[in-house]
Amino acid sequence: MLELVDLSKKFHQTYAVKNMNMFIERGEVIGLLGPNGAGKSTAISMMSSLITPTTGDVRYLHKSILKSPSPLRKVTGIVPQEIALYDDLTAEENLAFFGRIYQLKGKALKRRIADVLDVIGLTQRSKDLVKEYSGGMKRRLNIGVALLHEPELLIMDEPTVGIDPQSRTHILETVQRLNTEKNMTVIYTSHYMEEVEFLCNRIYIMDQGQLIAAGSKEELKQILSSEKIISIQVTNVKETFTHALSEHPLVNNIKMKGKEIKITVDKKANLFPILIHMTEEASIELLSIHVETPTLEDVFLHLTGRALRD
Amino acid sequence: MRAILRIKCTQFMRHPWTFLIFTAMAIGFALMIGGTGGNSSITVPITITDDSIRSTSIIESLQQSTAFEFKEMDQEEMEQVIEKHKAEVGVQLNEDNFQLIVGVNSFNTQLVESTIRQAYMNHSQQQNILNAANITNEEQAEALLNNMNQAVNQPIFTIDYNNFQNTETKQYNSTFQGLFGYSLFFIIYTICYNVLPILLDKKDGIWDRMILSPVKKWEMYTANLIFSFFQGYIQTVLIFSIFKFIFKVDFHEKFMSTLTLLIPYVFTIVALAIFITATVRTVQQFNAVVPIVAVSMAMIGGAFWPLEIVESPLLITLSKINPLTYGMEILKGAVLYNYSFEQLLYPISILLLMGVVMMGIGIHFMERRHI
Repeated sequence: MLELVDLSKKFHQTYAVKNMNMFIERGEVIGLLGPNGAGKSTAISMMSSLITPTTGDVRYLHKSILKSPSPLRKVTGIVPQEIALYDDLTAEENLAFFGRIYQLKGKALKRRIADVLDVIGLTQRSKDLVKEYSGGMKRRLNIGVALLHEPELLIMDEPTVGIDPQSRTHILETVQRLNTEKNMTVIYTSHYMEEVEFLCNRIYIMDQGQLIAAGSKEELKQILSSEKIISIQVTNVKETFTHALSEHPLVNNIKMKGKEIKITVDKKANLFPILIHMTEEASIELLSIHVETPTLEDVFLHLTGRALRD
Repeated sequence: MRAILRIKCTQFMRHPWTFLIFTAMAIGFALMIGGTGGNSSITVPITITDDSIRSTSIIESLQQSTAFEFKEMDQEEMEQVIEKHKAEVGVQLNEDNFQLIVGVNSFNTQLVESTIRQAYMNHSQQQNILNAANITNEEQAEALLNNMNQAVNQPIFTIDYNNFQNTETKQYNSTFQGLFGYSLFFIIYTICYNVLPILLDKKDGIWDRMILSPVKKWEMYTANLIFSFFQGYIQTVLIFSIFKFIFKVDFHEKFMSTLTLLIPYVFTIVALAIFITATVRTVQQFNAVVPIVAVSMAMIGGAFWPLEIVESPLLITLSKINPLTYGMEILKGAVLYNYSFEQLLYPISILLLMGVVMMGIGIHFMERRHI
């Protein structure tokens, strides 16, 4: 549906986005993950035809949108990072205005406003001024405006920044519902890992203007697939036990935190019988044992050397 | 475009205060500084020592004075008024002579003395004519004086006084100076604060939403500019109408021309507002720049005082690149000097040129910067 080909954007001497390649199929929910300043918003502005790339191309249905953005614009709804609403107007007046600029009129406009208010759960507060809304309600209305013209592609730039967990859940469920019920394609940027993990089929990770990894959640986690971490909890920690453990040929590394010991081993290594035997020998009671699977946060940390929200 | 205009009107109806405050301020300042032209004469207290004076033409002559308003009071009150500096000079009118009581010996004192002397001379002249005609009957005397006044009012030849109306000299009318000056000054604020939402819409992402909609970019700019133009224009029309219909200021039958001739100035100020909006980066910067530009323009362009009293060559040169100078020139030219459209074409052309240039540069900057 949408393709970015070697897309770059240079501001003065700095690349905000460099050589970005990406494809989005109809009905997918794509996550664009990266810390603040990674270039996500610039990439989104280019793929929605708001800014022109320095080099590269954006193709919608295999046709470049650089010279003729109208076909893409018609089917795109954008949810900007800012609250792009008139706060001295009511939710209904805001929706009516944005509906009218999408050439909706009369009964059709009223019907769409009612539908959208229902989707974002603001029907009861539709006559209130936006400035009287909570942050979460404003965010929901911000999304609602983008849905008025029933877009095929919804581009959401950090739509949950600074809101309460309840509103966040509502937004995430709404996006998921739009995707499953209306087959809406969604591009979702965030620096909240759990949101992307919850929503997206495929994820692109950006850092310093460049894509550094791409794939499904499982594929990305495979990046850290050569090792696994076994976490055990014991009643008491004896030096003889930890020494023996660290000296064992199957163990790559151990880290202790109180009565918890994290043991890094090769993915294929079977350490369980050895661990049981060693604890019995050291007269230590083993309270729990589990294998930790790497999270996207671990992947990001591994790829960039820093946490996502740094 | 209609959707944008509609939302602007809704927002205006909800928050008309900026518009109303600037309108009220323009009216208030124009009234305080320029007045309404109806009561510009200087009050001079007089006291009458002999009642027979009341029946003479002296009082009638004094009442016809346009420069002074002679107000009768008793001797004691007149002295108090002069002592308290509420009047520069007072006059005691006696049967055959008068006495000036001078508080401040100014140019006005001489003018008052001249006016009173003229009134006594006219009276004395009439008496001499009546005596020469040997008329004692009151009715006959009145008829004779009426005939004489009629003859005086229809002279054999007339003299044209042209020195204040010709092209080399300038008139000063405080009412129009205040009215035009403050109206043109305050609409700079009204228009600038109506163009500011473009900057806010860009910052908030509303502008981007509109770009992605089927609305064309020229429609977005045009809607904003039309709305700002009409706000500024309606404000000035309102101010001028209040002065004409409520304060009864005489526009010398040029009221409609004045309203039409305002259009180039309002257009140029809209362009200036676009230019300012394009050059600043934040609302704070905008709030700082607008008063500086507006006040400087008003001072250099002759909104607060007539440009004719400015002697500095630098300020005069600066006034040539100031839209307000040309706005004042057009309005004063039409109302005070009765200039024809051809005579006003030069300042109109300069304003339109300035408008087109600033609008072009402003929109270009806005588009390039993608604020």
